[in-house]
Amino acid sequence: MVQSKKQKYLFLAFCLLPTFLVFCIFTVYPMLGGIYYSFFDWSGTSSVKEFIGLDNYQRIFHDAVIPKAILNDYFFVFIKLIGIMLLALFFAVALTQLKIKEAPFYRIVFFFPNIMSVVVIGILWQFIYDPNIGVVNGVLRSIGLEEWARPWLGDMTWALPSVAIPAIWAGIGLFMLLLMGGITNIPKSLYEAAHIDGASEWQQFWKITVPLIWPQIKTSIIYIVITSLNGSFVLVQVMTSGGPGMATEVMGSYLYQKAFEDFQFGYGAAIGVLILVISLVTVVVLQFILKKEKVEY
Amino acid sequence: MKNVKSLSGIAVRIPLLLWSFMVIFPLIWMFIGALKTNAEIFTSPWSLPATLNFKNFVVAWTDYNIGRAFLNSLFVTFLGTVLTLAFSIPTAYALERLRFKGNEILLNTYLASMMIPSVLGWIPLFFLLLKFNLLDNLWALSLVYAVSHIPFTIFILISFMGNVPKELEEAAAIDGMSPFGILFKIVTPLIVSGIVTSSILNAIAFWNEYFMALILLQADSKNTLGIAMDLLKTSAQYESAWGVLFAGLSIAVIPVIIFYSIFQRHIVKGMTEGAIK
Repeated sequence: MVQSKKQKYLFLAFCLLPTFLVFCIFTVYPMLGGIYYSFFDWSGTSSVKEFIGLDNYQRIFHDAVIPKAILNDYFFVFIKLIGIMLLALFFAVALTQLKIKEAPFYRIVFFFPNIMSVVVIGILWQFIYDPNIGVVNGVLRSIGLEEWARPWLGDMTWALPSVAIPAIWAGIGLFMLLLMGGITNIPKSLYEAAHIDGASEWQQFWKITVPLIWPQIKTSIIYIVITSLNGSFVLVQVMTSGGPGMATEVMGSYLYQKAFEDFQFGYGAAIGVLILVISLVTVVVLQFILKKEKVEY
Repeated sequence: MKNVKSLSGIAVRIPLLLWSFMVIFPLIWMFIGALKTNAEIFTSPWSLPATLNFKNFVVAWTDYNIGRAFLNSLFVTFLGTVLTLAFSIPTAYALERLRFKGNEILLNTYLASMMIPSVLGWIPLFFLLLKFNLLDNLWALSLVYAVSHIPFTIFILISFMGNVPKELEEAAAIDGMSPFGILFKIVTPLIVSGIVTSSILNAIAFWNEYFMALILLQADSKNTLGIAMDLLKTSAQYESAWGVLFAGLSIAVIPVIIFYSIFQRHIVKGMTEGAIK
């Protein structure tokens, strides 16, 4: 190749520098800034920004809301993992292997919630749970289970699961597509051979399908966990703002309320650092649990 | 034997149909609610409207600022998507094809940043934009959106660039084409399907984004659809203007559904062939 060194470096700089610059300004700096702010007592106006060391972190340990919020975060993680993985896996297998003629219809429809805004999803489900005109109570009343009807999102016990259901509802489509991608790439001959050897469909599922789409399953699990820990507060904030009481409070919604509603930016930043630590630790542990040799036939 | 087959066919379809119903029902309810008057919604929440009533759409669009928010969302979605590509294509190319010191580290930095909870950065981001007088600025919001999706887009584009034959680039270089020419005239046209896939997903995410807009925008005239919906919900609660609220939600959802129906093949294709393995 006839190419001067100068030209090569110029091109490399063109490719990398502008992107890296905006990445540093809008992603790296805010992250480091978040850690930095967590050591200050700060109401947002620069005159009263006081360095207080680890006081915010001490306060976190004594804040009764924090353990509750962490517990709720993990409740979302587990219920989403189970709900999404079971349904997405079932739908993915059904739509790829059971020769259903109208499969494209289901594939398209199941992805609808993934293209909708969390705000729209939250508002729609608020109506579904509405005590008076909501569908859930309407159905319960019409089948004679009057006493089960309740203000779902205002109920201390039922609010949390009630918010988790739309979270599952909104998540299925994406992971179904991901798993379908894995299943379509499995060679048909494996199933034919297994069929000849007399393996039942259930055995085929466990011995062929699951091991061969393990990378996709693993990606899905990690992705669900990360997005849930880092993002389930959006739905919470839209649907209940953490209420009733603290029944549905999660770390993210608590951060938002502390920082942008109570103007305790230092404390909010410390909560943000805690979210970071929790999600990193969770991912590392998860990687360890999911470690399994890649299977190739 | 045949009976057993058709029986299991029905058994499998029951959950599929049930879930389809669960997905479609809220949407249908929303569209129907948008065409009803408030009185109709209260007296018979599940019935069809007596007459088709498009007034709710007009009221939502003009009186509740949805029209303005619609245009703002269109603006940030378009600008954000274009900026994401402008930043991601050259970097993805350099990371995939050019050899330089720190290649691996840079790639891993971008990928690792996808794991970081963005909520951690929102407080400093807010004050950064405040300092440069960029709060309430749709251009700045588009840029923030774009940067937040650079790692994901690089990730997708790299996997598509890996399939471009190296010989094409070598031949072009021998013919005296500059590296800029090779990137924009040879490689970019060959990864169109990766560009389309990532841009569809980016555009949908930007159109639907709510929280960063909530923090970084303040004036009513700058609101995007997510915030406008939230405000509409609050005032609908006071005024019991449910029909208008449903109309507002429909205005936010219909464009994405149309957009998705046109491009859904690309999403499925990108998901199953290239990107995530």
